[in-house]
Amino acid sequence: MLLQLEGIQKRFGGVTALRNGNLTVRPGEVHLLLGENGAGKSTLMKIVAGLHRPDAGTLTWRGQPVSFTKPADASAMGIAMVHQESLLAPHLSVAENIFLGREPKGPFGWVHRRQMTTAARKLIEDHGFPLQADWRVDKLSPAGKQLVEICRAIQHGSSLLIFDEPTSSLSEHETQEVFRIVRRLRDQQMGVIYITHRLEELRTVGDAVTILRDGETVHRALLSEITNEQIIAQMVGRELGSLYRREPCTPGETLLEVRNIIRKPVLHDISFSVRAGEIVGLAGLIGAGRTELCRAIFGIDAVESGSIHIAGKPARVRSPREAVAEGIALIPEDRQKTGLATALPIGHNLTIADLPQVSRMGFFLDAAKERRIAAEQIERLRIRCSSARQLAGRLSGGNQQKVVISKWLVRGARVFLFDEPTRGIDVGAKVEVYEVMDELARSGAAILMVSSELPELLQVADRILVMRQGRLTGELPGRTTQEEIMRLAALEQGGAVLGDSE
Amino acid sequence: MIQRLLPFLTLIVLFVGLAIASPEHFLSKTNLSSVVRQTAVINLMALGMTLIIISGGIDLSVGAILAMAGLLGTMAMEKGYPILLGIAIGILTGCLCGFANGFMTTRLKINPFIVTLGTMGIIRGLTLIISNGLPVHQIPPAFSYLGEGNLVGVPFVLWVLVGCALCTHVILEHTRLGRYTFSIGSNVDAATYAGIHVNLYTTAVYAIGGALTGLAGMIEASRLMTGQPTAGQGYELQAIAAVVIGGGSLRGGEGSVVGTLIGAFIMGLLANGSDLLGISPYVQQAIIGAVIILAVSVDELRKRKLTAG
Repeated sequence: MLLQLEGIQKRFGGVTALRNGNLTVRPGEVHLLLGENGAGKSTLMKIVAGLHRPDAGTLTWRGQPVSFTKPADASAMGIAMVHQESLLAPHLSVAENIFLGREPKGPFGWVHRRQMTTAARKLIEDHGFPLQADWRVDKLSPAGKQLVEICRAIQHGSSLLIFDEPTSSLSEHETQEVFRIVRRLRDQQMGVIYITHRLEELRTVGDAVTILRDGETVHRALLSEITNEQIIAQMVGRELGSLYRREPCTPGETLLEVRNIIRKPVLHDISFSVRAGEIVGLAGLIGAGRTELCRAIFGIDAVESGSIHIAGKPARVRSPREAVAEGIALIPEDRQKTGLATALPIGHNLTIADLPQVSRMGFFLDAAKERRIAAEQIERLRIRCSSARQLAGRLSGGNQQKVVISKWLVRGARVFLFDEPTRGIDVGAKVEVYEVMDELARSGAAILMVSSELPELLQVADRILVMRQGRLTGELPGRTTQEEIMRLAALEQGGAVLGDSE
Repeated sequence: MIQRLLPFLTLIVLFVGLAIASPEHFLSKTNLSSVVRQTAVINLMALGMTLIIISGGIDLSVGAILAMAGLLGTMAMEKGYPILLGIAIGILTGCLCGFANGFMTTRLKINPFIVTLGTMGIIRGLTLIISNGLPVHQIPPAFSYLGEGNLVGVPFVLWVLVGCALCTHVILEHTRLGRYTFSIGSNVDAATYAGIHVNLYTTAVYAIGGALTGLAGMIEASRLMTGQPTAGQGYELQAIAAVVIGGGSLRGGEGSVVGTLIGAFIMGLLANGSDLLGISPYVQQAIIGAVIILAVSVDELRKRKLTAG
């Protein structure tokens, strides 16, 4: 037994990331770690790599209980992690990166450059990596960078290598290359843990699988003994946070129509429409392109081709300003970073998208009118605050989100893009957000709602679009099942039904 | 709350302290007017800098702008144009320089620190080229009224300063431009996502800052009765210091006109007091440097308490 995790728990503030994480990895095994977005996979791996300390549970390494206080502890034991975002020094060469912090030293502490390059070259050749020791790292593709990280791990004598979604940014060919290397490492009796979202890949590399759900290990099996359908059944089925259920209303005219939007490599020929009074869910795994789609509709990212129509008329949306002028509103995924000015009062945040409305002569602010509007919004959305002068950053997550939404109510937007509207907010506030969305839809708004929480989509959406790797892979009625969504989001064949083939 | 009032208390303590230490000199009308006249220039620049810093920017070129504005304004007077037109030319020169800074910052997406570091050199260089390095002396005597005259027994520059401070305060607190300035400085992404024309308003803020600096340049020229191409060296740092002592944050989104005025007067009193008490100008520099660090650390402590509580 190489690594054994038992009963791992981890909380961040008020959020439980892991309640019972269990995992066993043998040497010479490629172990897949699966689960929905937010199931706790990355947290569990960060604990193994010494980036987080568990609140409870035991970590056993080669039969010995261990506890890591910093990444260097894990690294000294022979555990290495290949990160989603590269942690290499971009301006140094491949060889320098492989030996970073462990350079062969000559007299007076000089770096033995030739020795280092020779060793790096040998390592690269031994494994047949398509790299050169003297290449600069910032010139490499994402796959190349991963290979450098793998080289580092091998050079440091690691016996367990963790991949956190290694292939999410790689092309098909590069993915195959990474797989080839992973198999090779396995043959050398290394242990490999592999976090992935892409189910179809797993058969080609994996030996065993552990499935996490809501921070808990729910299933462990050999890959040969479990079907994809069974895996999906284990991944989904998160508990319903609430019993909210939206009553759909009769939709009106088409307000938002997206036609053949292309922005390679993240969006491939996306077309759909949303009618007034509708809430359309958008499901997909991380990296499927859902946020990118919202950004494209809102004019943040330029598209290569395709068009957007608002209420039947073609709309020119090349910047958020133009989007706002067309009546589009974005409630972004990361509200603290892009949704709110947290250091400014709530009142200022509420009116910021439509200051002309509270201005005299288009320039001077009408303080009384502003106060009145702020009071109305605070009352209407039940924003819990001491006054409109309270700083927005001091509100709870749910109330912050209500401020972000309110801003667009003041503006009178008609097309709403909600990107993960309930992320990080508690159950009660979630229901309040659903109610606001419902009220908006009933008053004639068109809503697109991105969510990684499948139960939430089932509770709120009239229909659900599913994206996978930048493509729309299907559309499901609101009363579908989590399994159905996950199948379209994760499996190749799901895409074959609707997706175009290039 | 006490910490919030600290700059103001410091100013009062300084004032009272100096009044006690050197009653006949410090409280004399000549001395107090001289403090006002000396600080008016930095004060006006600092008002513009307040807007710029609140928007999340910075302008290192204001010292150079001051010199160019003063030079072009006085050159116009030397050529026989009316005094008021000369002053207008100075203000317009500042405004255009500020506009150029804002335009480059927003359109070329270059960090304002770099842009204005560059324009600091460019504007200073142009000023020296235009003037051939020589000051302008042939200025109508009446022009000295701007910097040295009195109106109703009070230095004329004080009226100008009060007027500009009021306008800046109104802009900042009671207009769309001011609200957008805070919003952009506080979170530029959120401002963009709210559909604000960030580039336009940022540029406007730099242009206003430039105009105020242009006016400061004319006052400086009026006090010296020369158009000095080397004027204003190091003033940019004093202006920034005034804003920062007054509670402005270089991260943007924070600052106020009242705070900046207090900041500028604290520095003015420190300089004046040191002169009166016979403290060497070398020591003065060190004291002002220490005050800047002290003021900012107190402010940081206050904010940390806020976020913790």
